[in-house]
Amino acid sequence: MTKMKESEKNTAPEKVLTRKDITKLGWRSSLLQASFNYERMQSGGFLLAQMDCLKKIYKDDKEGLSEAMTDNLEFINTHPNLVGFLMGLLVSLEEAKENRSTIKGLKVALFAPLAGIGDAIFWFTILPIVAGISASMAMSGSIVGPLLFFAVYLSIFILRVAWTHAGYNLGLKAVDTLREYSGIISKVATILGVTVIGGLIASYVHISLLPEIVINASKTVSIQKDFLDKIFPNILPFTYTLLMYFFLKKKKMSPVVLIAATFGLAILLSFLGIL
Amino acid sequence: MAITLAQGIALAVMAIIVGVDFWLEALFIFRPIIVCTLTGIILGNVPLGLMAGGLTELAFAGLTPAGGTQPPNPVLAGVMTTVIAYTTGKDPATAIGLALPFSFLMQYIILFYYSSFSLFMKKADKYAEEADGKSLARLNMLTTGIVAITYGVVVFLCAYVAQDAMQSLVKAMPEWLTHGFEIAGGILPAVGFGMLLKVMLKGEFVPYLILGFVIASFVPFSNLLPVAVVGMALALIVFNNERNNKKMAVASSAAFEGEGDDENEGI
Repeated sequence: MTKMKESEKNTAPEKVLTRKDITKLGWRSSLLQASFNYERMQSGGFLLAQMDCLKKIYKDDKEGLSEAMTDNLEFINTHPNLVGFLMGLLVSLEEAKENRSTIKGLKVALFAPLAGIGDAIFWFTILPIVAGISASMAMSGSIVGPLLFFAVYLSIFILRVAWTHAGYNLGLKAVDTLREYSGIISKVATILGVTVIGGLIASYVHISLLPEIVINASKTVSIQKDFLDKIFPNILPFTYTLLMYFFLKKKKMSPVVLIAATFGLAILLSFLGIL
Repeated sequence: MAITLAQGIALAVMAIIVGVDFWLEALFIFRPIIVCTLTGIILGNVPLGLMAGGLTELAFAGLTPAGGTQPPNPVLAGVMTTVIAYTTGKDPATAIGLALPFSFLMQYIILFYYSSFSLFMKKADKYAEEADGKSLARLNMLTTGIVAITYGVVVFLCAYVAQDAMQSLVKAMPEWLTHGFEIAGGILPAVGFGMLLKVMLKGEFVPYLILGFVIASFVPFSNLLPVAVVGMALALIVFNNERNNKKMAVASSAAFEGEGDDENEGI
């Protein structure tokens, strides 16, 4: 059976997918998480998004279609914003009737690096920057804040179609480049992200001590304004964030526990008049 | 102020739309800045929605589903912060804390679905074997539909049905307790940033964290764009260095391999 497929491969299969099909695949890549679950993660949506292309490639070959479907139902967990790239690449291989183990191997090799790059760029870099800017606009009462946020993410959404075309057109050429550069790209994105987080800590975590030391009837010294702020502004937010990092990373504590503890502590210190 | 039945239904419909968006991570209209603004529009108090949106967005800045972990639910946080501030007249900064239990509730419902939707995968395997694309599409519609309806029902119950109970609870709270919630809302981003750092911060990146912090602490500017621009510059420096290193490594190893080839030919 497999032997027959190998021989079929020699007669170069014709292209059946049009530009329009690939554009549609890009939009449909948004279905990635439609049946997200812990057993296979995104596999159900991953297959569904590619269904139209696969049907067009395999036409009456029910067995070939079934094999392709079964392969694509295997565990996958990657990034919704970049998955179109992977889908474009895979359907180009399906269309060329590459053998199944090549297609499967590439999918397994690429989905995790794509997820890493996507998380570093979209969650850890773009979101903090865009959210920081648009939130400060919204808080000063400007509707431009949420509109700006929406505009940025709409553009990112539309770019999904571009990634899909890129994956389809580059085909196997893309794989080497991606393997070569994925390390550098995620490192560079992390540097940008970490720098912004440093800024976010200073700007958006607010801890301010209330107590004042009474020196005499006319003079009091505020611990926050006259002491801490003079030594190093925002030192308490920085320390508390690092403390959270320590508990999350080294003590493997759940964020829910830390959120609850933060509330408990804040309420206690409010009761005591310290915060 | 009270929420009318019509507003309750409108909020439920909105929650279905943004909830599905969160499920798919598509347009990012599930982020609090959008959800609060839409809630404000539905309640007829846009300034409140904007204020709540900015505050909640920042409080949830680090709480992301990156790496397959489910964060406290941003949709419920957004809707309930705005709703609680509207019905009780409390400051949105206080309302963030009061909205948090609702956010946790939805987080656990989604986690329950993540586990139970595993049961559908046996069916999906069968459809794949039969090359049945239509049934596969139906299965995906069903799971997404279940999530959508849940968002609608939960938001309707929390925002409309429970509003009187919520109001009397908040009225019974002493001043130090509401003040506690308010300052907790201001500290909350620390947990989110801690989560981001847990994923991103390795020893080699510590200098960048310090730089970003120091710039934002000492440069008086209304947003973080200067920090982002400096970060971009640092990233470009590293990118250029790494690329050059790579090129040199490739060049030297190519030269090395070339020598090896010559030797082989000699033998």
